[in-house]
Amino acid sequence: MLRFVVRRLLLLIPILFGVSVLVFAWIHALPGSPAEALLGEHATPQAVARLRHMYGLDKPIPIQYWNYLKTLAHGDLGTSITTQRTITFELGHRFPATVELALSAMLFSIIVGVPLGFVAAKRYGGLLDHFSLVGSLIGISIPIFFLGLILKYIFAVRLGWLPSIGRESVLATRPHPTNFYLLDAIIEGDPGAFWDALRHLILPAVALGSIPLAVVARITRAAVLDVQNEDYVRTARAKGLAPFVVDSRHVMRNALLPVSTIVGLQTGLLLSGAVLTETIFAWPGIGSWLKDAIFNRDYPVLQGGVLFVATVFVFVNLLVDLSYAIINPRIRYS
Amino acid sequence: MSVAEIEAVDVGYEVAPSGGLWRDAWWRLRRNPGAIAGFVLVGAFLLLAIFAPLVAPHNPNEQDLQAVIKGCPCGPSRAHLLGVDTLGRDELSRIIFGARFSLLIGVVAVTVGLTLGLLLGSIAGYVGGWIDSVIMRLMDIMLAIPGLLFAIGIVAMLKPGLFQIMIAVGVVNIPIFARLLRGSILAQRENDFVLAARSVGVKRWQILGSHVLPNAISPVIVQATLALATAIIDVAGLGFLGLGPQDPGTPEWGTMLTETDRYLQSAPYLAIFPGIAIVLSVLGFNLIGDGLREALDPKLRGRT
Repeated sequence: MLRFVVRRLLLLIPILFGVSVLVFAWIHALPGSPAEALLGEHATPQAVARLRHMYGLDKPIPIQYWNYLKTLAHGDLGTSITTQRTITFELGHRFPATVELALSAMLFSIIVGVPLGFVAAKRYGGLLDHFSLVGSLIGISIPIFFLGLILKYIFAVRLGWLPSIGRESVLATRPHPTNFYLLDAIIEGDPGAFWDALRHLILPAVALGSIPLAVVARITRAAVLDVQNEDYVRTARAKGLAPFVVDSRHVMRNALLPVSTIVGLQTGLLLSGAVLTETIFAWPGIGSWLKDAIFNRDYPVLQGGVLFVATVFVFVNLLVDLSYAIINPRIRYS
Repeated sequence: MSVAEIEAVDVGYEVAPSGGLWRDAWWRLRRNPGAIAGFVLVGAFLLLAIFAPLVAPHNPNEQDLQAVIKGCPCGPSRAHLLGVDTLGRDELSRIIFGARFSLLIGVVAVTVGLTLGLLLGSIAGYVGGWIDSVIMRLMDIMLAIPGLLFAIGIVAMLKPGLFQIMIAVGVVNIPIFARLLRGSILAQRENDFVLAARSVGVKRWQILGSHVLPNAISPVIVQATLALATAIIDVAGLGFLGLGPQDPGTPEWGTMLTETDRYLQSAPYLAIFPGIAIVLSVLGFNLIGDGLREALDPKLRGRT
């Protein structure tokens, strides 16, 4: 097991190195430069040259890359050209927003998806089963930005129940020690702040959780149907265990194995930033930040941000593989 | 039972006649109501796309300025069944003409990803050795960057436009197909019929082309159909972010949804109708993909 972990960790190094080279090469292939994006179309050549010199953009590309690696080795991800804040500072604010949104979306998909899949399997071939099958197929066919718009229209515009943008009320001035707003509200003991943050979280989380929900429901249904016919389930029933005990201790425990893998993989995907959801709901997370950085040609944000996102993504996937071995004793990595 | 088998039971297969894999698959596909619904949906959109000038009630770029004279676009009416957009253009006609662009972009994007992915995957899987390692590590690097962000990055590099988003979505699909085909080929390569072909002196590339690939291709076909569905969504997403066709006359579905955000209060239908068109076409490809997966599963052949 340990050897497997070490080997996988070592494999991450070339991948992340490759990502950094790829991002660097790509940034320099982008038309335009941060100087033009910052100074506008009518900038004088002198001003552009000065700005390029300030950020070291006038040096040859391999030297720029070498300088970048050197600062990276010191744990410095650089400073955003547009906001003048350090990338680490920005990540400290935006990553919690993305994590909060991603985890809420996954929680929503699990809370709704697992029971739905379970009931569908129990009522196999029945109305509810067909309903869940068709529903999950429609769920994966709805573009997230369309669902976002519809949710916004119904719950924010029509009914006026929920706010449609941001993480908290615009005029709120609350302390945020961790930048996880729900957690902050609990730490500060402020129920009003908790409710405010929760209300802002609902629509984006439901929109973002829709596809994982469909996937989770489908996998749960198939897994339950699969496990139900196993010999050990028949044995458990034959020895007279209550149906509830059979379902919870024997069926669900085994059926949740494939579900947990899917949940892990989907979480990795969501943690790397939900560009569209964050854009529609003006959620200040990683996805919308990187999207804006592309439009603003903010090189340091792109270099640092994409590398960070890729690191999170490959790490979560590694964790999923490892946790799979832990919860499923039948699998042992050697 | 495997997942695919369980899902296949829903379809209630009769006993398939014995024939080749493809004849069997076609037989099963025709008896799958989901797949039929998918074919009908996709077929309908294809017909709309082909006969758009005949079907559409208006020219997609013709402006009815009377309809927007009050400052906000008019909703559905007899003259404009689905209303008009902010420039007074008939929404229904734009959705019908939009089928041309959105379907075309999806198909081209998947073709790009499929072709390059197949090429890389089959080289990696069949040649092996260091070439395999290099190609697959490159694919790993591509997969480590979130897909939509990757696509946005490529469009930013090539400048926004119709052709550019096809390429971007296609490139994002490359590692998926490469990995799939490589895995499939590795599994086929060890088969007895490959050994047999080799022992009678068939050339390597001939073995790959006429023995290994035909057997490795069915998961790729399933994935390609499902990728078409995702490609339509991704392309619409890029259009929604304003990276699609820059000519405002091009009625691409995702681009039509851009800025509808601001009119949700006064003209929600501007978001709803193009969105429904996207959902239905994506649903069509997903249904066909699911049907194909069940039909091509060799474990289900000849089952009742």
